[in-house]
Amino acid sequence: MVIIGENIHILSKKVSEAINNKDAKVIQELAKEQAAAGVDYIDLNIGPARKNPEIMAWLVETVQEVVDLPLSLDSTNPKAVEEGLKVAKWRALINSASGRTDSKEQMMPLAVKYDCDVVISVLNDQGIPADAEARAESIMDTVTYANELGIENERIWVDPIIMPVSVDQKAVAEALEFMKMLQDLLPGVKSTVGLSNVSNGTPKELRGILNRTYMVMLDLCGTYSAIADAFDEELMALAKGKMPEIVELIRKVMEGEDVDPNSLPPKERDYVKTAKVLLGDTLYSHTWLEL
Amino acid sequence: MAEFRAPVESYKGKIVEVTIGKGDKAVKIGGENVFAFNQAFDEGSWPNPPKVAVEIWDMEPEGWVKGILDFYGDAVSDPAQWAKKVAEALNPDLIFLYMLSTDPNEKDTPPERAVEVAKAVYEAAGLPLIVYCTGNETKDPQVLQKVAEALSGENLLLGPAIKEDYEPIAQAAKEHGHCLSSQAPIDINLQKELNVKLTRIVPAEKVVMDPLAPCVGVGFEFGFSIFERQKHAGISFGDEMMQMPLLANFSFEVWKTKEAKGNEKMGLMWEEMTAMGYLLAGANLLVVRHPEAYRKVKELIERYKKS
Repeated sequence: MVIIGENIHILSKKVSEAINNKDAKVIQELAKEQAAAGVDYIDLNIGPARKNPEIMAWLVETVQEVVDLPLSLDSTNPKAVEEGLKVAKWRALINSASGRTDSKEQMMPLAVKYDCDVVISVLNDQGIPADAEARAESIMDTVTYANELGIENERIWVDPIIMPVSVDQKAVAEALEFMKMLQDLLPGVKSTVGLSNVSNGTPKELRGILNRTYMVMLDLCGTYSAIADAFDEELMALAKGKMPEIVELIRKVMEGEDVDPNSLPPKERDYVKTAKVLLGDTLYSHTWLEL
Repeated sequence: MAEFRAPVESYKGKIVEVTIGKGDKAVKIGGENVFAFNQAFDEGSWPNPPKVAVEIWDMEPEGWVKGILDFYGDAVSDPAQWAKKVAEALNPDLIFLYMLSTDPNEKDTPPERAVEVAKAVYEAAGLPLIVYCTGNETKDPQVLQKVAEALSGENLLLGPAIKEDYEPIAQAAKEHGHCLSSQAPIDINLQKELNVKLTRIVPAEKVVMDPLAPCVGVGFEFGFSIFERQKHAGISFGDEMMQMPLLANFSFEVWKTKEAKGNEKMGLMWEEMTAMGYLLAGANLLVVRHPEAYRKVKELIERYKKS
């Protein structure tokens, strides 16, 4: 699975301080560490950046000095994204556009102008669609619009928008269903997810297992990439195919085979229990691993 | 031609049967493996129709409507007399003793007084007893521990145990042989977590779930939905940590509405309709305030039990 490292993120105190002080060293260290961990893209998340959209250009140049990886320019502000696109050395990824009118009008044309890839989420003017079918309907409309602008499916990375399992367990399973049907709906599109959102609201020490298990499940449903924590070593190992036995176990659970978690060693047991929660077979509570 | 057989639904899970009280008067709730009132369709069994408790307070009622006050007369000035009157006039399944005065924001009465009241009420009524505090995480455990100890072995239902204070309450219930209520605020995930934690201390047969029960007009739909979902998780999905019976404690909410306070007849209907809603949603135990509501709700349950 293609991994977009999420660790340069404005919500991180360290990152926001480094950006405010234009402290290149901190940013470059984070970029190098993610590259060493094996990520395929580096996400540069600067939030809306209303006051300083030009900061994206600084960030892109700073990172490009030390790593040879394509970048994901992550901002809701088209001005900021364009500043980054102007200086990006490799084909960048716009993260992200959506079916919202302002995004269609201002963000999407940048993918045409700079001939780059673009993440398009299922969000539209009505908000986040409720179920797999509504997501499908929304993304069909938005991608059709993008195609008309001249952005072909192969350059579009569809984002189903992942909900936290502690908030909306049903939506977590729905997103898997949506990913399964995506290639039939829009042949050739790529896809990506904000993986860590699945574990938002879950106690910190339990977030990793949720992220990792869900990533494997998304992968098995045909998802192309995930924006994820590059510093989770096990996650990177799973993404790069180094733990096939865990993937096989999760596949069995997803196909409805009878897997008794309590017959397994602790690590395998946790993956099975977590997969059952993410499928919606077991009701979520913070204590799901203890049952 | 082959004989037609109507399809029969069957479910994975069964609600735990919980007994409150002891001896002849003890009540059993739960034990069903079908949804409310579905026993007629041969889908499973519904052995214990819902039980109804009548609400009294550990202090003189404030803001109660005239009809209820007239019904009890002077008895409301003394909880034991009040409980006796309830038992004689209505003989309900249980008494619900609300320890409102113990709340630091009310009268902050000491646990020792709560013990006296609980003992006197229990002796006067001779009925299974629910002792409920206000959800104050520092005061409730002090009160409930003392009550548990003073009425050791009487198998009361104590509550609420919330995520902030469940440990001492559950330990006291365990030590003195009482049931307790697991209260999570309209949140199925938190409810499950609390149930998991409580059942490490006491068996599921001693736990009743209280997801909170807002009344009609004030968020009833949230309450209905959470009752239904919790029951579904237990019965349809067989989730063992969601198989405790459900308590619907809405009378306080009903009689807080300005409509109920301003118009007793309307309040009565308000309480009955709320009760009916929670019965349909799967409640196993209800708390009502108005004597007339008690009669109506019991009659309703009896009628459906027969059909």
